Amino acid sequence: MFRQNAFMFGYSQKRLFLAQELGCQLMGFTIIVNDKESYNKALKDGYSNVHFLDITEDTALEQLTVKDNDYLICVMDDHYLNVFLTLSLHALFPKAIVVALSDSPHTTQKLKMAGASKIIDLYQVSANRIHNILHKPVATKLVERLLTSDEDFSFKEMLIPKGSSLDGVMVDDFDFTWHGVILVGMIDKRLSNQFIFITSGLENRFDVGDTIVCIGYNADLEKFENYIKL
Amino acid sequence: MFKNSVIKFAFFLNGSDSYKQIKEIASNFLQNQDYYYKKYFDIFMISLIIVSITILVYEVKHSVPEWMDFFDIYIVTIIFTLEYLARLWVYNDWHSLVVKEYGESQFLNRKFSLWKPSKIALQGKVEYLFSPTAIIDLLAILPAYRPLRVLRIFVLFRVFKLLRYTKSINQFLSVLSSKKFELFTLLFLLLFITITAGIAIYVFEEQQNKDINSLFDALYWALITISTVGYGDISPVTPQGRVVSMVIIVTGIAMISFVTSVIVSAFSEKLTELKENRIIEEINKNEEFMIICGYGQMTRMFLKHYSTEYNRRYIVIENDKEKVEEAIKEGYRAIHDDASKHDVIAKFNTDYAKITLLALTGSDIANIYITLNAKALSSKIRVITRASTDKLAKKCKLAGADSVVMPTQIANRMLFSAITQPVMYKAIYAILTGQHLAQLDEVNLTYHRKLVGKKLDELNFKENKLLCIGLQIGISGEFIFNPPMRLHLEEEDILLIMGRKVSIEHFKMSYAEIRYV
Repeated sequence: MFRQNAFMFGYSQKRLFLAQELGCQLMGFTIIVNDKESYNKALKDGYSNVHFLDITEDTALEQLTVKDNDYLICVMDDHYLNVFLTLSLHALFPKAIVVALSDSPHTTQKLKMAGASKIIDLYQVSANRIHNILHKPVATKLVERLLTSDEDFSFKEMLIPKGSSLDGVMVDDFDFTWHGVILVGMIDKRLSNQFIFITSGLENRFDVGDTIVCIGYNADLEKFENYIKL
Repeated sequence: MFKNSVIKFAFFLNGSDSYKQIKEIASNFLQNQDYYYKKYFDIFMISLIIVSITILVYEVKHSVPEWMDFFDIYIVTIIFTLEYLARLWVYNDWHSLVVKEYGESQFLNRKFSLWKPSKIALQGKVEYLFSPTAIIDLLAILPAYRPLRVLRIFVLFRVFKLLRYTKSINQFLSVLSSKKFELFTLLFLLLFITITAGIAIYVFEEQQNKDINSLFDALYWALITISTVGYGDISPVTPQGRVVSMVIIVTGIAMISFVTSVIVSAFSEKLTELKENRIIEEINKNEEFMIICGYGQMTRMFLKHYSTEYNRRYIVIENDKEKVEEAIKEGYRAIHDDASKHDVIAKFNTDYAKITLLALTGSDIANIYITLNAKALSSKIRVITRASTDKLAKKCKLAGADSVVMPTQIANRMLFSAITQPVMYKAIYAILTGQHLAQLDEVNLTYHRKLVGKKLDELNFKENKLLCIGLQIGISGEFIFNPPMRLHLEEEDILLIMGRKVSIEHFKMSYAEIRYV
């Protein structure tokens, strides 16, 4: 279970998977729709936290209890409305993280200008996927496995806690393979808040508060997460 | 005895792989427009024809060196003769007819007749010998016979021989043949008016005009006048003759305009088709290419990022004319057609080329149909299909798709990762979009033979600033994540590594060595 709160704007057939996953994995998950049909469908699908709002009205949006760092997910099927909504949400809740879906480079640009923190271009990721299938089939299969939540194999972010055995250890001095996991990258708080790939050639040291990203089998990842807590 | 020997010989030919192979190669060079190397043969023959015409024309007024004469008489003639005989040889198979007839006669307990299959084979050969192209080929050999200078007129047939190798002239003729009815009607009208006007001028002026002495003179005048050429060597002298002139001049102008408009309309009707056929021909010359069905947002995005990588070895098929125009305007190779039709995909060189087909139309049903169509034509075609739901993805797989791409699912997963594991999302996004800071790449040992037999430990991934993520075992296809460093690499294994583009390229370069099969 993840600690984030998220508000998903829009609920349609295409977003069932997303709603289902977020509903299960997040502490707080709210669906906001602007038509009665979607509202009824969301309720019928078992979601209790569903709001029916006129999302073009700021006064209606202001009623939402959005806190800092909450996720506001704009996935309306109407892309004009999606851009408008992004703009409104960014203006109303500047400290929240707006994530939006785009269907073209033009929309992506508009969403960026409207204040979206993360934009996923539906067709760009698909075009990349086709290219990867053609040129890197094995790598693509691996990434697909990593992205599928029901696989026994994934990426995991881990925070180095106080008193961790990793605290103060240089990255090169630690043998991850012994634990069955591969360290892909980390956020080294000492240097910056940016994600650094382990292959970048920089010499890093693990410190308390750093975030590391590993890949491996879920069981190994779990074991390793417990190990670094020791 | 003779019959038995012939049957044995026919069976020998029928069972000989090398004979079949040689005949197939010859047939590909001579007849198969999709054969990759045919263009080189065509270029060679065109060059030979041009050289021989140049020698023959130059020879009319000048004396040519002996070696040039030798080249024209022997080399060119021998090559033309061999080509002529080879075309006759590949036109049909005598031995397979004999074998078939023998098999049938054995099965039906009937007396085997050698004459029957030989007659069919012979009829085929004769049919070929009397075809216009074969006649041109034969006559093109004749100018080499020096004692009869008159035979040099047959140099014209060497010019005609070019027809076989130049597609534009053939296309021009095919466009004209599409308007055969209109052109023949006009020709008959022209003949009718010319003959009528010729007779009229002959009747009116034979006595008065010193230039018109026969009906031939009159017909010649009529043709020159109606064509609006008007040399002026014969002109009417009587008022009646002048009236006839005025009538046929007006008729001539009208007819020329009519003929021009018929030809222009034939071309404008066929122009798009001709252009598209030319694009398909060009694509078919590649050993490996891609057919993209549908010009929607996904195709646009794909071409925007990767069209240069495919270096015009792709073609977009779209059945919406406006979208095709848009694609052409963007600089992409596109044709207007329906990719779900069997004939459309059949135009591509499915036998020899390695084809990847992307079914990316907006309709799932159309994509499934296109997949089935391509796979029905050749199972070798690699198909990647777009689907909108899991259920449809399963149907695409059943239809034979090698891979299925679901844009909504990919985007949903990315969204989910972006929210639940934002750091991981950055990593995956960088890997998926192939950014410079980190890439996930494959090292195929088929192309990096120097790695065969090496222990993973020896490859110094850490020093090379690379991560060894996994290994796909060549023969079994089994994937080992985080492989133990004691493992030895074998042929056809695929190593999965991660690192910066520059590190990966350096690693690949160090071990590059291709195995030629």
